[in-house]
This record gives sequence, structure tokens and C-alpha cells, in this order.
Amino acid sequence: MNSLARQRNIFIISFLFIPMMLLLAFVLYPTIDLFRMSLTSWDGLTTTKEFIGLENFRKILFESPDVWNSLKNNWIYFYVHALFIPLELMVAILLDSKIRGSKIFKSITFLPYIINGVAIAYAFAFFYSPFNGALNEILKSIGMEGLQRNWLGEESVVNYSLVAISLWKYCGFHVILFLAGLQSIPKELIEAAVMDGANAIQKFLHIIVPSITLVIEFILFHNMRGALQVFDIPFVVTGGGPGYASSTFTVYTLTTAFTYNNFGMASAMGVTLLFMIVILSWLQNKIFHFGGKRL
Amino acid sequence: MRTELTMKSPEMKLSKKVEISKLLSYLLLIAIAVIVFLPIIITLFASFKTAIQLGEEFPLKPPALTSLNFETYKTVFTEGKILLGLKNSLILVAVSIVINSLLGAMTAYVLNRFNFRFKKAVFGLFMLGMIIPTLITEIARFPIIHSMQVGDFKVYNTLLAPIIIYAAADLMQIYIYTQFVEKISISLDESAMMDGCSYYGIFWKIIFPLLLPATATLAIIKTVDILNDMYIPYLYMPAANLRTMTTTLMDFSNQRSGSWETLSAAIMIVMLPTLIIFLIFQKYIFSGITAGAVKE
Repeated sequence: MNSLARQRNIFIISFLFIPMMLLLAFVLYPTIDLFRMSLTSWDGLTTTKEFIGLENFRKILFESPDVWNSLKNNWIYFYVHALFIPLELMVAILLDSKIRGSKIFKSITFLPYIINGVAIAYAFAFFYSPFNGALNEILKSIGMEGLQRNWLGEESVVNYSLVAISLWKYCGFHVILFLAGLQSIPKELIEAAVMDGANAIQKFLHIIVPSITLVIEFILFHNMRGALQVFDIPFVVTGGGPGYASSTFTVYTLTTAFTYNNFGMASAMGVTLLFMIVILSWLQNKIFHFGGKRL
Repeated sequence: MRTELTMKSPEMKLSKKVEISKLLSYLLLIAIAVIVFLPIIITLFASFKTAIQLGEEFPLKPPALTSLNFETYKTVFTEGKILLGLKNSLILVAVSIVINSLLGAMTAYVLNRFNFRFKKAVFGLFMLGMIIPTLITEIARFPIIHSMQVGDFKVYNTLLAPIIIYAAADLMQIYIYTQFVEKISISLDESAMMDGCSYYGIFWKIIFPLLLPATATLAIIKTVDILNDMYIPYLYMPAANLRTMTTTLMDFSNQRSGSWETLSAAIMIVMLPTLIIFLIFQKYIFSGITAGAVKE
């Protein structure tokens, strides 16, 4: 028995050793190091890391308007995506009904999420381009030349042009999650409600919504975390430009680290982002469960 | 006659209502399809046109089938070196699938089947690893990988760098495997134990083969993820001969900005692998992605 227990322990240790080491060395240690680096003025090159206390955080708060302007752009991604969530649910309900061709439409809806993000970012850069770009040409062909713009060059529209790409890419993902939630509702439940004479709105409010609260919660969290971390689309399409007009918090942070070699400052921004995610997650959780009780 | 009419009319009203709502539903779905395909089709058309045609023709006008311009695609293969990118991407995919499925299955099995001291702590650390945002941690991960050296071999700027990061930081596989391990009855482990099978034997001969559906789901999702990944190869493999398909496209775009017809051809080629995988393996992709998400 003793030897069996030993065998068992050896087995457990041998199986967990590599995954644990990888996790500790490349995920958890870097996260702790991020905090440590945020208190230094390290430039990424020298071996000495000068401790400067909370100086980086003071600079972020009081002397870096571009960071906060970038964060405002994250907000645009957040609220526009949030506005689309009801529509996403509607499409999911539609795809869940016995409509003909729903399978094909389900695939089409999800397609953008799977497509290479960089490739589609360039495709949209072409679509928006002031030189032979399709959007301006299409506007011209329907007699709406007045709406033609330099979609990626004008500070007032560039963020919305980029958010449109984000919507194109991620809405289908939400629809599929909603659909998975809808399909897990027992059919008898809905049939019984219909038998009792529930109309479409009652069915929606009293059966569908309460049954998929978990999915709704997940999508709201996903939207919040995703919006705070928007990176690929602005990085590839505009590089954050013109100026910092379409920069986001993450674009600004990673540029600070890898373009300007200011690792101390970038770490402090990273820590700030982590705190924002934690606080907003906590807040959203509170709001959601408060609302949940009232329902 | 009269009764028949009164019987019929409300029904007809109802069916008319149903018809209209059906029509609206289809209009919405078709609108979605148009929006999804619009940027892809414009790029496809452009990729077969010459620079002059691109300047003169309406973007939604298909290129004349008799005079398709294949020069664009030729350029992507010769000057763009897209096949080298494909090769590097496929190496990353193949190695990562093997490593991630083995480590994922091992971790999920041990955490699901055994009780041991510090289990809660181990479990908690993996959970923590899952919620830490990956992009921001690159700031601290980069110096570590950059300074990693075994003898004369530097990990930075080799294919090993992304492989290590994918193995360490992508923990979705633990979720997927746990769901499948839970479904395998423990009595199977116990009876094998009775027959004198060792712990390793049980895992390798019985459990791991039974986890094949999970491995398939994981393999497909990993393939899509890695083919589409941009920042990790961009950051950790700046060498020209280590470009993946995605970073090849970025490089190509920087070199010939403004030449939209050739860039369009490159975009179409880079889109193709994941598109094909999606068309063939949709079921796995849907189940894998929703499983990971809904569980959280």
C-alpha cells in the first residue's frame, strides 16, 4: 500500500511538473514582474533597474494625456459593441427558430470570427482607402458623394471606421454564444408557455432571458474585457494614427514598451489596465446580480 | 359557404402575418450575409485586376473572366515568399498541437481524478493563469524569453519562442479536456488498476485514446488560433526567414503599400487556410468555442 501511494505521488508530480513550470515561468512570474517593473525606470536594455517608487503612476495620471485619450477610444469600442448586443440576441433567436437555411446562415454569421484578423484588417484598409477604396466609390455610385471621407485619416471618423471592423469580426461570435444558450433551453418549457397563451414578448422576457443569464453575463464580461484590450485592429490598420487619434490603451502601452523601450512606464500602464479590468469586473458582477435579484 | 368564409379569414390573416415576419427575417439574414461577404468579395475581385483596371472599374464589378490577372498571385508567391510563411506556420501548428494536447490532457486528468495536498492551490494557479490578459504580460515576458539561453542557443528569434508561449499561456485545453475526462467513468480506471495496470498505463492506454474527440476539437481550434496569431510571431520572431503567414502579409503590406491588387491577392491567400478548415470542421469549432466560453 505504501509503495502504491508512492507510485501515485510520483505519477501526480511527473504529470504536473512541466505544465506547472511553464505556468510559473511564463505566465505567473511575468505578471509579478510586471508589478515590480512598474516601480522602476527600466529601459529594457541595461541590467540595472532603478527603483523610482510610484513615479510612473504619477506620470500616467498627471502627465500623459495621450494615454487617457487612448482609453476614451476603448470606450467607443465598448459602447458601440454593447449597443449591438440586443441585435445579436435577436439574430440568435431567429437562427434558433425553424427557419429554412438557418444552418447556412449560422455558418455565415460566424465566418468573420474565424477569418485571419490581419488579412481582414488589410481588406478593410483597402475598403476605406481614399485611393480606389470601395466605400467611397460605392457612395459615389449611389449619388452620396457628400458622405465621402478619408475614413482612416480623419480624427473624427477613424475610430468608428475601426469599430465597424471590430463589429464585423466579433458580432457573429456573440450570436453563436447566444445560440448555444438558446439551444440549451428545454423545448417543453417554451411549448408549455405557448400552450398557456404566452405571446412572443412574454416568452422572451419570462423564459428566454432568465434561461440564458449566464450567457448574457459572459458576453457582457467578454465585451468589457475585449474593449479594454483592443489591440490588433488599430495596430494593423492605422498604427494608432493619425497622431494618437485611433490609439487604444493597449496600443499605447505596447508602443511605449517595444517602440520607445520604456519598459518601466509600460509596466505601470499594464498594471493600471489589470486594475481597471479587476474593478470593472467586480462592478459589473455587483450590478448584474443586483439586477438579477430584482427580476 | 358563409361559415367556411368566416372560418378561413382569421387563419388567412395569421398566415399573412407569419409570412411577413418570415420575409423580414430573411431580409435581415440576407443583409448579414451581404455585410459578411462584401469586404471579402471586393478583395477577391481586386486581386484579379490590374492596377489600371482597379483605378477605372467599379469595385463591385467582377473582373472579366477572359483576362484575369494572375500576376498578382505570382508576385505573392515569388517576392512575397508566402510558402515559407505557410511552412513556418504549419511547423508551429503541428508542434503546438502535440505539446498542448499532451500537457492539457495530463493536467486535466490529474486534477480531475486525484486528490493530493496543494491541489486547491495548483487548481487556483491554473485558473489565475487563465484570466491574466496575455497581451499586457508580453511586456514582462519579453525580457525573460529574450534572455533565455541554453549554451549557445538563444530561444528568442527561433520557432521555439512562440511554441513555449503557446504551451504555457494558452490554457483553454485544460477546460476542454476536463469536460471529457469527467464523462469517462472512474470504474474504468479502477478495473484497469485491478488488472495490474500502472497509473501511466491507465492514462496512456485507456484514457488518452478515449479523449480523442477532445484532442480533435483542440487540434482544430489551435490550428485556427495559431494561423491567425499576429503579435507573438511579430514580437518574438523578427527574422525574415521566420515569418508566419500572418507576419508575411504584414511585411508584404509594408513593402508595397498602395499596390492594392497584389496586396489583395496576398490577403486572399492568407485567408484561405482557416476558411477551408472552417468549412470542413465547423462542428468541432462551434462545440470547442462554445464549450470554452459558456463554462467560464
